[in-house]
Amino acid sequence: MANEENTKADTMKLDDTQRVKVLSPSALVLKRFFRNKLAIVGMVIIIAMFLFAFVGGMVIPYGQSQVFYTTEEMKKDYAGATYINDYMMYEDKEAEVPGDLYSKAILAITKKQSVVETRNGGSLALRPLTGDSYLVYGADETKNPRAMKSAEHKAAVESGENYFEYDGTAYMVDSATGKELLYNVTEMAVICKLSFTPYNPDIAFSYEFYKNALLAMSGGGKDFEADGAAYTLGMEGEEAAMVYAADGSDYAYISNMNINSVVGGVNLAPDFKEMVAYAIREGKDSFEYTDAAGETDTYLLSEKTGQYLISRNQETRVIDTYSSPSKEHWLGTDANGMDLLARLMYGGRISLLIGFVVVIIEVIIGVIVGGTAGYFGGWVDNILMRVVDVIYCIPSMPLYLILGSIMDHYRASPTVRIYMLCVVMSIIGWVGIARIVRGQILSLREQEFMVAAEALGISVGRRIFKHLIPNVVPQLIVFATMGLGDVILAEAALSFLGLGIKYPAASWGSIINAVNDSYVMTNYLFVWVPAGFLILLTVLAFNFIGDGLRDAFDPKMKR
Amino acid sequence: MKKFVVKRLLISIVLLFFVSMIIYGIMRCMPASFVETKAMELSQKPGAKSYDEWLAQLNASYGLDDSIVKGYLTWASKAVRGQFGDSWNYNQPVLQKFSSVIWYSFALGLAAFLLEIIIAIPAGVAAAKKQYSLTDYSITVIALIGISLPSFFFATILKWIFAIKLNWLDLYGIVGRMHQQMSPAGQILDMAKHMIMPVATLTIVNIGALMRYTRTNMLEVLNSDYIRTARAKGLPEKKVINHHAFRNILIPIITLLGGTLPSLFGGALLTETLFQIPGIGYTSYQCIVLGDIPFVMFYMLFSAVLILTGNLIADILYAVVDPRVRVN
Repeated sequence: MANEENTKADTMKLDDTQRVKVLSPSALVLKRFFRNKLAIVGMVIIIAMFLFAFVGGMVIPYGQSQVFYTTEEMKKDYAGATYINDYMMYEDKEAEVPGDLYSKAILAITKKQSVVETRNGGSLALRPLTGDSYLVYGADETKNPRAMKSAEHKAAVESGENYFEYDGTAYMVDSATGKELLYNVTEMAVICKLSFTPYNPDIAFSYEFYKNALLAMSGGGKDFEADGAAYTLGMEGEEAAMVYAADGSDYAYISNMNINSVVGGVNLAPDFKEMVAYAIREGKDSFEYTDAAGETDTYLLSEKTGQYLISRNQETRVIDTYSSPSKEHWLGTDANGMDLLARLMYGGRISLLIGFVVVIIEVIIGVIVGGTAGYFGGWVDNILMRVVDVIYCIPSMPLYLILGSIMDHYRASPTVRIYMLCVVMSIIGWVGIARIVRGQILSLREQEFMVAAEALGISVGRRIFKHLIPNVVPQLIVFATMGLGDVILAEAALSFLGLGIKYPAASWGSIINAVNDSYVMTNYLFVWVPAGFLILLTVLAFNFIGDGLRDAFDPKMKR
Repeated sequence: MKKFVVKRLLISIVLLFFVSMIIYGIMRCMPASFVETKAMELSQKPGAKSYDEWLAQLNASYGLDDSIVKGYLTWASKAVRGQFGDSWNYNQPVLQKFSSVIWYSFALGLAAFLLEIIIAIPAGVAAAKKQYSLTDYSITVIALIGISLPSFFFATILKWIFAIKLNWLDLYGIVGRMHQQMSPAGQILDMAKHMIMPVATLTIVNIGALMRYTRTNMLEVLNSDYIRTARAKGLPEKKVINHHAFRNILIPIITLLGGTLPSLFGGALLTETLFQIPGIGYTSYQCIVLGDIPFVMFYMLFSAVLILTGNLIADILYAVVDPRVRVN
């Protein structure tokens, strides 16, 4: 190989054209451009940005306005428990009961009387059991000296009771008037501050069950009978008890607490109530309970002025806002639960597209106006340049803001906003290009090759666009490349102020917009930092390329 | 020279006429309901005139009930006499509000302007002195980063570091919470402290252009014959740079800086808004968002005047500084 080249070189003459590698002007520019390291870095960044925005947007499985949800553990109230403060009355269905039984009985209890008169002239007698439970009897005053002297009476008085049975009849004594009176009594109702919860929702308790259960609780006995069935009582503290049926199965739960579900459509099971009562009695702040479906949950107990609240952590479906970067969302999610990486990609498309569209329109208008003004000169130049001056004088940022707020008012759709933004930015931006083109053409016009072109009879349009404009291209390319960065910056600033690209469309500026909330700025760096760096990198890359191009086109500046 | 200035002034006035007409036309694009809601709002204040009266007054004062051309002439004839009306948002004459906020903007702009000059010119000269050295590359890259840095992003980073993490400075505003209780000197210091971040943002964002401009001009000067002569004479490099080269780059730099002088009054809309500095920029931003037509009209016109003045100053300075231009 090397030999072959050597022999070739030997055969060449000194003035052989192939000996000198001739490069076209554009190839020279390219060569100089690629020698510039910064420009290469810029090129690499821009290509990466395009891949990120356009290919990345296709690859990523999420859409730009796809909302993500997550399940979150939330503490939700489940049930409430309070001590029963009001007396509950369970009547004997078979007895004839006076209408004001309940109110009279309560009156008697508060006045600590054991016998009261009812409205219909009869009397009621109260037989206290333990706690706040009473048996209520209808009472008839009677005189029975034998009963008064009986051993049963004596035993009752000695144990402090006012009730005894003698000879198969129930009696009560009352000594409130100073003289001991004897009453013949019949059962009417029980009054207590207890609630009865059946295990099986079909069970309806009878009066006999209430009475005997209360008597058993009061007497401390364990077994009682009701309606021909035998039950066993398992006391739990002073005021709560479990009732087992004869076969040992759970039958009912008696408690001095009212425990109700605060969630609609849920009936609390007695064993749940038992757990609650137990936890309250033991002063615990949480307990575990396995429900009928076999699911075990931890319930939290909190107390506030005598009211107990039972809550549990429940999984709830919520929008996944500001979730930290994870496997599913590499850059986390934003305030609307949208994937930030996807939004950065789609936002990059818009930012880059706006940049290119605006610059292309600017170049077209600028070249036409600048070229015409420069070539014709005279009054055409004067008028066109005054137009340029007028537009140059209009402060651009306030103008964009005004148009943004006008579009806000008309509720323009995100797409319309993008188009409008492009149009307005190019209408304002072309004047710089027009000035450059005009200045160049003014000096080029006087050169010999233009005289030659005129002498050859080439048409005016051809002279401008074939002979003059190509000589302006270097400046145009440099200016346009740098202009791309400026347009992207301006669009980002507008979107940042909330007047440019709007939700649900994304742009890099509108993503950083989230920092207007100081909380986001402080705590969710992953929301705004990537977007900022993307803008910085892109604009920087365009400036690197523009710088490199300028150096490449204008080698006199170098060395 | 005098003829030149007079001619430019006359052209400027004509330009201003057209610029204000365009701005007025755009403002007229603002939905009429702005005026209506404003009239509704104003009429609901205690002791105010009725809605119809307000509407008629607002429309009349801005010629909104006439055609655009006639309306513009009405507005312009008042504006020429310096009557810019009352700001709707601030309920006081536009000029009064303007004079109360402009000095914040000027202080901010001046501080950033001086810092820029102090940093950018030596840096640009240093970069040109050793072209393609590490210094040159790093200064070029820093200048380009400054140009490319979105000011809102840089401001946010500053806030995050200095206001949130280090807690040295306040996030927003021009005065601290205890401002009223401070001594006069303390009040000034308090305001200066609140200016630190805005000035830093403005400086960093604007510094790149001046740095590059200095570097390019210095390179051009260093390539010229008289520098070669100076070096050939055996002058020390320090003297060559500081006396022969530096004086010559002053011509373009003074021209450029002179042209930017008026913009010191223009306020930095974005930076002031980011830090809520109550200067002309932030005030105008609020007025734009709220549709305060009188104030926005005035601000736009004011900005246009500043741009024209800047151009004029640059042209005049160019002639003043460089005798060669004057001859032509």
